[in-house]
Amino acid sequence: MLTQQIAVLGRPVRRNMITVRIEPENRELTLDRAATVTQLLHKLDRKPGRALVIRDGGLLTPDLNLKDGDHIIVRDVGSKG
Amino acid sequence: MKCKRCQVPAVVALPSHHTAFCRDCFLVFARRLVERAIKEHSMFTFDDRILVAISGGKDSMALSWQLKELGYTIEGLHIDLGIPESSPIARSYTERFCAANSIPLHVIETASLGLAMCDVKRRVKRPICSVCGQTKRYLFNRFAMDNGFTVLATGHNLDDETSRLFANVMRWDVEYLSDQGPVMPAEKGFAKKVKPLYRLTEFETANLCFLAGIDYGYAPCPYSSKASFPIYKKLLSELEDIQPGRKIRFYDGFLKDGRQGFAPRGETSVDIQPCTTCGYPTSAGECGFCRLKAMMNDEG
Repeated sequence: MLTQQIAVLGRPVRRNMITVRIEPENRELTLDRAATVTQLLHKLDRKPGRALVIRDGGLLTPDLNLKDGDHIIVRDVGSKG
Repeated sequence: MKCKRCQVPAVVALPSHHTAFCRDCFLVFARRLVERAIKEHSMFTFDDRILVAISGGKDSMALSWQLKELGYTIEGLHIDLGIPESSPIARSYTERFCAANSIPLHVIETASLGLAMCDVKRRVKRPICSVCGQTKRYLFNRFAMDNGFTVLATGHNLDDETSRLFANVMRWDVEYLSDQGPVMPAEKGFAKKVKPLYRLTEFETANLCFLAGIDYGYAPCPYSSKASFPIYKKLLSELEDIQPGRKIRFYDGFLKDGRQGFAPRGETSVDIQPCTTCGYPTSAGECGFCRLKAMMNDEG
C-alpha cells in the first residue's frame, strides 16, 4: 500500500507519509501522514501551544490538514537554559 | 481558522486568549501586550537609555526587536559565558541580530575575568546555574550603572515569571515573594530592572520571532538539565492546557492581590552595604562575584 515513491524537494517520500524535522535537536522522522496538525502533534506527544509547526516557510494552525509528502518542521519553544 | 481581527486565514492560534491571528494582526497583538506592560508598570519612557540583556535566545531577541520597533533608545549587552558547547553559537546569533537591526552591542567575556563557566563549574560546589545567574546579574547591573543606562531590560516571559512564582510559593519564600514582579526600582547601587515581555508566553515570543524574521539560537546550555524551573514550567503548561488563561491570571492576581501580603513588616534583616572590594551592593562584606573571582584567580 505504501510502496510508490515520489520525490519531494529532491528526497523520496512514500505515499501517505510525511517527513518531520524536530527542532532544536534536528531529528528527522518519516511518519504515516496525520490528517491534521493537531493529530501530528498528538503523535509526537506535543501540545499545540508548545511548538511551532512550519510548512513551506509558513506557520500552520492546529486545525489545518496535512498532505502526502509534506515536509514539516516541529519547533519546540520551551527554553532549556 | 480565521484571524479574529481581519478574517483572513490565521497563522497563530492562541487558546489562552480564545483567539487566532494572521501575521500582521499577531504582530499588533504582541506589540500591544508589550506596550501595556510598559505603561501599566511605568517601566520607562522614550527619554530613558535602555540596556537590553541579549542572550541570543528568542526572548531577548524578541524584546530587543520590539523595543526598537517602538522607537525606544536601546543598546544590547551580551555576556559570553565561556561554555564551549553553547557560548560561541549564542554570541554569533546575537552579533548577527544586532548588526542587522542597528542595535549597538557590548560584549563581556567572563573568561577575560577568569570566570569561564566551564572552569567555574569544575571548581565550585554550588549548583552552576546559581553561580552563573549571580555572575550575569552582577555584570548586567554593573555595566548599566557604570555606563549611565537608566533601565536594564530582560526578556523574561510569562512562563519564566509564573514558574518562578510557583517555585517561590512552593517554598513559601517570603523574601522573594515580596519583591517578585515586572519592575525592580533603582536603589542603592542597583539599576532599575524591567521585564516588558511578562505578558507574553514563550509560545508567543517564538511566534513573534518567526513572524518578524528573527533568527534566534537554539543551542541550550549543556548545564541547564539540573535547573528546577523547567519542572514548574511543565506543570504550569499542563494546567494551562486544561484551563487556558490560567498562567496570566495567576501572575496578574499575584501582582494585584498577593504580593502585598508578603511585603516586609518593619525593618528587614538584610542590610545592604557596598562590597569591600568592588563597591557594588551586597548583603555580605565582600560580594559573591568578588569572592568567586578571587577564588578562581587564586586557584587558577
